[in-house]
Amino acid sequence: MAQVVLQDIVKSYGSLYAVNHVSLTVDDGEFVALVGPSGCGKTTTLNLVAGLLPMTDGDIVIGDRIVTDLDPKDRDIAMVFQNYALYPNKTVYKNLAFPLQMRKLPKDEIDQKVRAAAKVLDIVPLLERRPRELSGGQQQRVALGRALVRDPRVFLMDEPLSNLDAKLRVQMRTEIKRFHQDLNATIIYVTHDQLEAVTMADKMAVMNKGFLQQYDTPKNVFDNPVNTFVASFIGSPAMSLVPLEVVQRGDQAVLTNEAGWELPLSAMNTRKALKATTNKVVLGARHSTIKLHKSETVGAVPARVYTVEPTGDITFVQAFVGEAVVIVSLDPTVIVRPDEDVWLEFDQERMHLFDGETTMALSAA
Amino acid sequence: MSIATGRAASPLSARSAKKPNVFSRMAAHRTDYLYVLPALIVMMVVIAYPIYYTIELSFYRTPPNLQLRDKVWAGFDNYTAVLSSSVFHEVTLNTVIWTVASTFFSFVLGLGAALSLHREFIGRGLFRALLMIPYVVSAVAASYVWKWLYHSDFGVIGALAVQLGFTSEPINFLDNRQTVLSSLIVVNIWREFSFAMVMMMAGLQTVPEQLLRAAQVDGATPWNRFWHVTFPHLKGVSMVTVLLLMVANFNSIIIPFIMTGGGPADASHIWITHIYQLAFGRQQWGAAAAYAVILFIVMMALGYFYVKALTRGDEARQE
Ligand SMILES: Nc1ncnc2c1ncn2[C@@H]1O[C@H](COP(=O)(O)OP(=O)(O)O)[C@@H](O)[C@H]1O
Ligand SMILES: [Mg+2]
Repeated sequence: MAQVVLQDIVKSYGSLYAVNHVSLTVDDGEFVALVGPSGCGKTTTLNLVAGLLPMTDGDIVIGDRIVTDLDPKDRDIAMVFQNYALYPNKTVYKNLAFPLQMRKLPKDEIDQKVRAAAKVLDIVPLLERRPRELSGGQQQRVALGRALVRDPRVFLMDEPLSNLDAKLRVQMRTEIKRFHQDLNATIIYVTHDQLEAVTMADKMAVMNKGFLQQYDTPKNVFDNPVNTFVASFIGSPAMSLVPLEVVQRGDQAVLTNEAGWELPLSAMNTRKALKATTNKVVLGARHSTIKLHKSETVGAVPARVYTVEPTGDITFVQAFVGEAVVIVSLDPTVIVRPDEDVWLEFDQERMHLFDGETTMALSAA
Repeated sequence: MSIATGRAASPLSARSAKKPNVFSRMAAHRTDYLYVLPALIVMMVVIAYPIYYTIELSFYRTPPNLQLRDKVWAGFDNYTAVLSSSVFHEVTLNTVIWTVASTFFSFVLGLGAALSLHREFIGRGLFRALLMIPYVVSAVAASYVWKWLYHSDFGVIGALAVQLGFTSEPINFLDNRQTVLSSLIVVNIWREFSFAMVMMMAGLQTVPEQLLRAAQVDGATPWNRFWHVTFPHLKGVSMVTVLLLMVANFNSIIIPFIMTGGGPADASHIWITHIYQLAFGRQQWGAAAAYAVILFIVMMALGYFYVKALTRGDEARQE
């Protein structure tokens, strides 16, 4: 296994930048998830690492070699595709043997490796079947097997679970995680499902419109999103974002909106808010950090309940603060009704402030 | 076999499961037949009746001096006469050569053209359009043009061959028993390869990009990618293309009819031109009909085996 370094890589189609100056380092044995909405350039990035697309600019290093100008077959990578991409006319055995055959290994060595990989993935009874005689989960395992037989330096996976049904997806998630741990494999894993990224990856690279937004551990991305995009993309339900204005009252800053209410900020949040390039800021808060009051309370802002979604052990309430929707979680014993007037109190320690112009997170330092 | 249970059934049990017979299936779908009844009636009139009439006619003698309604019952005489005549054997051999050679070379050339045009390069659209011309122009017009190209005195091809020093005299392509059939086959291939090309281009578009990429990552050379991914994927469309080409070639008439009329000395007759000549040239309607019936039976048998081979994969997939 090996380290993978993307150095300022660019892929443009005419004036469209599918991948725009992305740099990141995947350490040896690390599981990195590339995550972002559809069309943000994840697949393109992965194909660039694989060498399946010509790169416009930048360099890619795998292990101790610059592989930028190498063919896919010489990069010592293996790939798992969204719809498995198994050869439909070959048996499972031949599918697994194919990459070894192409590398002209002796027959008995191929046989030994195929059987070893089949054993690891528990697909020995399927070896003589054809892909169309397998379930989605089995096909996915065969695809993993075909990647595994070659003992590559890096595994590249492009949405390998998105064709499976919800239950199987959760199960395969665990299996891929095990696969990673057992093999100590370096894996770059593309997904549009932030939950998959958060649950599986050591680090996640959040992309949007070809740009790398943030590259960090899932916890850090969740706790300290660098901008409003990341804040709204990671977490389920997403972080609520409320555009507001900052006004200075002596040495304290307050947030206000058209309705005229004022929310005084703590000393630290004041320092953050005053760093904004204009007087526009965005207040970000996750559902669990907001307290809902049924009567007017000091330090809480007025809101109107829009929908109430009981999920069993937790009830989600969507409420309007001005034009913005804020999601709050409640104990199911608290009864609120749509169109009810409520007051929301934001936890000053755990709220986020973003620059209303640049969308970047504001920091106190 | 319902779709719902089909998924659970293993391929083995699916294969051994007995199919309900045709009649019980028809009975189960009787209202469906009602809907297609009007179309069926029209087809009976325009297709079934001519077939019936041809079969009937094949059992009668119709000498040129007789009116068709005065035809004389002849039993199987027409069939024995046709099957034992030496012309029949020569024409059948011609037809087989014509069909096999045209189909094979049209398909191979069409596949080659489709593969070369599948890659991105400057002027691809133009090439595509140019190579499609043979299929788009009228066969009659093309036949006349080729007749002139081949002409022994004024033909461009003969003149070129002389200029380039291949021969001292222009070759007599069409008035020579040895060269006439091959010359016609060349024209037919020229016309048909673009049809094969269009079919194969359509087929190539359906080769999953991901499979090719997977093969590339697996270390397959371009040839291996073609052989292990593209070609197996094209099997279905290839078989359809070959079937359509074969049927079209067995039934060809325009090119030989216009360019040589079957001559010289019957050397370029194929089944349909010969049937046409028997019927409309020599008024031997009965013999021509018997001929047509034989051809019909051969075509049906061929089509049956071919369609069976074609649908075998589908059944396995449906389970
Ligand atoms: N061959 C191509 N030509 C032009 N644009 C492309 C091509 N391939 C991808 N793109 C564009 O690049 C962007 C990123 O695509 P992709 O990497 O597939 O996104 P995703 O994150 O969904 O995997 C998209 O806007 C897509 O339309
Ligand atoms: Mg994608």
